[in-house]
Amino acid sequence: MDTLAHTVPGNEAALPAMARPQLDLELRGIRKRYGDFTAVDGVSLKVAKGQFVCLLGPSGCGKTTSLRCIAGLEEPDDGDILIGGKEVTKDPPWERDIAMMFQDFALFPHMTVAKNVAFGLEMLKKPKAAIAERVQQVLKSFEIASLADRKPGSLSGGQRQRVALARAMITEPRILLLDEPIGALDYSLRETVMLELKLLQQRTGISFIWVTHDQNEAFSLGDLVVVMNHARIEQQGAPEEILQRPATAFVASFVQGNNVFRGRVVQAVDGLLKVETPAGSFLVPGSDCAIGSEVSFSVRAENLTDITGDHHLNRLTARCTAVEYFGSVRRHIFERPDGELLKYDQFGAHAARIAAGQATVLGWRPEDTVLHTGVAA
Amino acid sequence: MSTIRVRSAASYWLAVPAAAWMLGVVVVPIVLLGWVSLWGGRSFSPASPLTFDNYSKFFANKTYLQLALSTVTHTVMLMAVTGVVGYAIAYFMTMKVRHPAWRLVLFLAFVVPFWTSTLIRGIAWVPFLGVNGVINQALMITGATRSPIEAFLYSRFGISMAQVSLYTMMAAGPVIYMLNNIAPQLREAAMTLKAPPFVVFWRIVFPLTLPGVVIGQVLVFLNVMADFATVATVGGNKHAMLPNLVLLFYEGSQHRAASVVAVLLMACMLIGVIAAMKVVDIRRLGADR
Repeated sequence: MDTLAHTVPGNEAALPAMARPQLDLELRGIRKRYGDFTAVDGVSLKVAKGQFVCLLGPSGCGKTTSLRCIAGLEEPDDGDILIGGKEVTKDPPWERDIAMMFQDFALFPHMTVAKNVAFGLEMLKKPKAAIAERVQQVLKSFEIASLADRKPGSLSGGQRQRVALARAMITEPRILLLDEPIGALDYSLRETVMLELKLLQQRTGISFIWVTHDQNEAFSLGDLVVVMNHARIEQQGAPEEILQRPATAFVASFVQGNNVFRGRVVQAVDGLLKVETPAGSFLVPGSDCAIGSEVSFSVRAENLTDITGDHHLNRLTARCTAVEYFGSVRRHIFERPDGELLKYDQFGAHAARIAAGQATVLGWRPEDTVLHTGVAA
Repeated sequence: MSTIRVRSAASYWLAVPAAAWMLGVVVVPIVLLGWVSLWGGRSFSPASPLTFDNYSKFFANKTYLQLALSTVTHTVMLMAVTGVVGYAIAYFMTMKVRHPAWRLVLFLAFVVPFWTSTLIRGIAWVPFLGVNGVINQALMITGATRSPIEAFLYSRFGISMAQVSLYTMMAAGPVIYMLNNIAPQLREAAMTLKAPPFVVFWRIVFPLTLPGVVIGQVLVFLNVMADFATVATVGGNKHAMLPNLVLLFYEGSQHRAASVVAVLLMACMLIGVIAAMKVVDIRRLGADR
């Protein structure tokens, strides 16, 4: 098995050629059931040293339960958890080399900021003077030194977030687990905090496992994005891979900007499949599919065009229902012949060519079409 | 919906009935008690001016002082027992019992006895603790003892048994409330910061429930200090606490002495409550959250 399968290319080069790279975290088929409900169903994951991993998925997909299993707050019914190569499946949280940041930050309300931050070091039984000094350092580096004597109740959301982060990072864990860490923040703060966290992660080399339902967070932060649905992993890979080559219909429809089609293979010629869908017949790259099998595929909204040429072999006629303008992108919403919505993104600030209500022929190249070959595992 | 502004005349008028009631049944009688305790004679007259003689007489009597001391030590002992047992019950009910149905059953089991008056519940201990009582019979049947143990009833032990059962839930109630208010993430956060369970309890859970502990202790303190009924019924006439002394003097028409003891008892209680308020600012309960 190639343990580097999901590392970013840059990291690979930095490793000594012969050394077997150490994984910060490995999940082997973990399962967790609550009565009849399966929260996590056979999740396997490898996290290389210093990787930024985002668990992405809709609520109830099992991402938080997976995180809690890694933290030791839940014990999986099945499967193994290894942290730094050491099996910890049955170990309690306080014996694991992790720290965790909770969605509502979970600061201790009866302790000052300084006491909150010192807590982890006190648990490690460090000498008092060393703790005090380190706390001062950390408070300074997180720009919360002026809050040292305040209680969490009197802090703003952004300040609490910093305190929670400082408290988790001070113990220098191997892995930091973050459960929707910026979900409780004001929208205006999020982008700044995201950038700060990314820089912090790169500087410290601590692996981050970040749970979120927000794909913008996942794609802009993660080295590895793990898309989950119904307790399983649908796809894991670099952000580009997931955006450009969604492996399942769920990933394609969950990720913004994809148009998903479902149909039946009717012909296979020269590495192209002809797929019949309720919206028409389209050519899709692929060869391993039997005639008559049900498949799904997708095309990204920016890969469509309304100025069709000879190579835009896939075409359909649709009526534009709305145009949304985002500054760098003009998104057109069309109604497909089969009643589904079709998204067409035009980049650049040039004038609108298509107005709402207008019927247009849209085309795209077969090679821009992605056949979904993955199965949720 | 109309609201009443805090400083409007209506809001003051709304307070009048309660204030009048409190004035009539609490403030005036207390002032009267204080006044009577200072009388120089059997009734108030210009010939016998107000004096502290009654108090001097009380403090000159070693037996009374010993009684006062034993009332306080007994109360402190009971606070300790109900505090520990009550906290254990509260912790068990909120942290260990996960199933809602079981929680309800346990809650009812603890609360239903309170539908009976304190006096009845106190007296109910008599057939338990007596020479032919349930406990002694059980001990004799199992062969743990040959002859019944007389020390159970009409003893300090019996009084304590009864009072622990009467007042433990007073200590537990406020703690249950505080425990329910502790977000589970706080304990989880402590665990992920390498705190083993006992440290989580000592550093996180206990400090956050401290106001509840103090309120419970105040309730137990006030009730035990004032409890003459249990002492009289389960303790027989062999044992007495300060409130029983009030009753004794009153029945003997020694109104001045009764007032003196009553005033001293109230003073003790007041000091206790003030001390408790010093430990935890009860008015700021839960304000940190």
